Amino acid sequence: MLKKILRIFIRDIKSTKREQIALYIVFAPILLAVAITLFAPGLNDTTVNLALLKSDEPAHIEYMQQFAKVELYDDLEALETRVNKRDDVVAIAPKGDGYEIVLQGNENEIVQTYSTMLNSLYEIGATPEDTSATIMSFGKTVPPLKTMLVNMLVSLTVMLAGMLIALSIVTEKAENTINALNVTPLSQTGFVIGKSMTGGLVSLVSIVIALFITGYSGVNWLMVILVGVTSMLLSLIIGFVQGLASSDVIEAATNVKMIFLPIAGSIVGYELLSDKWQWTMYWSPFYWAYKANDMILSKTADWPTVLLCTGMVLVLTLAVFFIARPKIRKGLS
Amino acid sequence: MISVKNLSHSYNKDETKAVNNISFEVQKGETFGFLGPSGAGKSTTQNILTGLLKLQQGEVTVGGFDLKKVHNERFNKIGVSFEQSNVYGKLTAKENLKFYAKLFDVETRDPDELIALVGLQGKEKVRAGEFSKGMKHRLTFARSMLNNPELWFLDEPTTGLDPAIAATIKDIIREQQKKGTTSFLTTHNMFIADELCDRVAFIIDGEIKLIDTPKNLKLEYGKKLIDIEYVKDDKIVKETLKTVDEHDKKRISEIVNAYDIRTMHSKEATLEEIFIEVTGRGLV
Ligand SMILES: Nc1ncnc2c1ncn2[C@@H]1O[C@H](COP(=O)(O)OP(=O)(O)O)[C@@H](O)[C@H]1O
Ligand SMILES: [Mg+2]
Repeated sequence: MLKKILRIFIRDIKSTKREQIALYIVFAPILLAVAITLFAPGLNDTTVNLALLKSDEPAHIEYMQQFAKVELYDDLEALETRVNKRDDVVAIAPKGDGYEIVLQGNENEIVQTYSTMLNSLYEIGATPEDTSATIMSFGKTVPPLKTMLVNMLVSLTVMLAGMLIALSIVTEKAENTINALNVTPLSQTGFVIGKSMTGGLVSLVSIVIALFITGYSGVNWLMVILVGVTSMLLSLIIGFVQGLASSDVIEAATNVKMIFLPIAGSIVGYELLSDKWQWTMYWSPFYWAYKANDMILSKTADWPTVLLCTGMVLVLTLAVFFIARPKIRKGLS
Repeated sequence: MISVKNLSHSYNKDETKAVNNISFEVQKGETFGFLGPSGAGKSTTQNILTGLLKLQQGEVTVGGFDLKKVHNERFNKIGVSFEQSNVYGKLTAKENLKFYAKLFDVETRDPDELIALVGLQGKEKVRAGEFSKGMKHRLTFARSMLNNPELWFLDEPTTGLDPAIAATIKDIIREQQKKGTTSFLTTHNMFIADELCDRVAFIIDGEIKLIDTPKNLKLEYGKKLIDIEYVKDDKIVKETLKTVDEHDKKRISEIVNAYDIRTMHSKEATLEEIFIEVTGRGLV
């Protein structure tokens, strides 16, 4: 049985490699991940970049390194060249008794202020421990906008699993190869699992790659995989149903696209609805998956909450499965 | 090997039956033919026997397995060649066969050897999507032999193939017969039925009209026929008449006496003519 499932999987991968649309589906998340990384470079960066002189006092350099990303240069000329490059870098060089702050002029105001403040604090010898304020943190360590984009990308990738399955089913239907499989010892369950593996594994791998590209390699991978696999199940069911219901590739793609609606709705609901109204989204498994991923990506997730979310996804998926199962069985025979 | 009792099938699950209350048995080692025109219900019957269509009504056992129960392992002993070829266009001929072979639990034949057997040598590494219809059909046919089936289902095995290739396919089937393979073969081609089948069932409108060996059928129904061409009103007229029929005999002497005879041949009836006589309809 296992051997046969593997065969179905390997054959599907082979076909996928030779199918343009399938390749596109596989590479879209990776391209999008690159796009997010390229076009939102500042999103990940809350630190300020400073350029200092190597000849500066070690105490100054050390102090600055605690609060900013510090680059060191040989002389004033190199420092100025660096400042004039495109990104926001503020140079601080010793001058007389004090310091001189060198700006290109177009830097973000916050960056300017922050650098100046930081230098002043050094000059008066202040440390974080000197503060009289109590510190209250929400624990967010990753900027929310980028997390949101990457989370959306993960949702999309999960959906692509369904698209891959639908595509592969439509092709099997068009070529009538399902009938040929139905007169072998391969069981229908084996067929379904083998096909699911293709969509599931391909999109899991895509998610992992996308998270690495976008700089989320520090997340709890076990949680990522757990939420990924559970939310994938629904996508797979939808893929099977749509694949069996559609007569060609275009129709299947259109049908699968229809589930963008509840997904988009769930994301918008999660991001925009106030806590009081969040319950209105509880019906949607995509909501729970998105919620779990949001916490995982912003590194605030704990196991009980993640398990609750995946549990909800599973229960809702199971409900869909029982509605869809007769359709899938019938469609495959 | 196959036992069918009172099998009926309706696609719309109503009174219109694609197969209507048919019964027959196929013995071990026998090649059993279903001969009938397009739409007679041949493929429907084969699809029920191979489990592709759900058994609705009737008692059917195939290779000792009751079709009412699910036994996927029975397919280790069964080979199926489809009327419409169905192979993976994105895979090469050889990849198609290799993939399929892995789905069986029994020893399978060498894909290269089978590809050569159906005359596709040199095309092993060509994707099936680039094949002509006939080539795909041959690949589908070759695939049905992968698991050395004891029971072989052949739906229109030579239809749409050019005569030379059809002859190759016939030779392969004969070869398998010698090895003792039991075959269920459907065709609307009387020559195929005549040449390959031990017994033939005439099927039309979902009903079996008779079952017998081609030889018996010819003995029983194949009364001697005479084709006569004669000239009447400056035109050539052709008639086929039976030498054993009183009315026809009179007609023959009438023609011989009254007209100028061009040609006159006696011949044995073909299966098609017998089919027409039994069912009242032709094979197309
Ligand atoms: N999938 C189907 N749905 C509905 N009717 C069908 C289907 N397949 C075949 N039929 C009908 O069943 C009858 C028998 O068809 P079939 O078994 O394919 O005939 P044959 O193989 O002898 O040419 C025909 O009237 C045909 O139109
Ligand atoms: Mg047919």
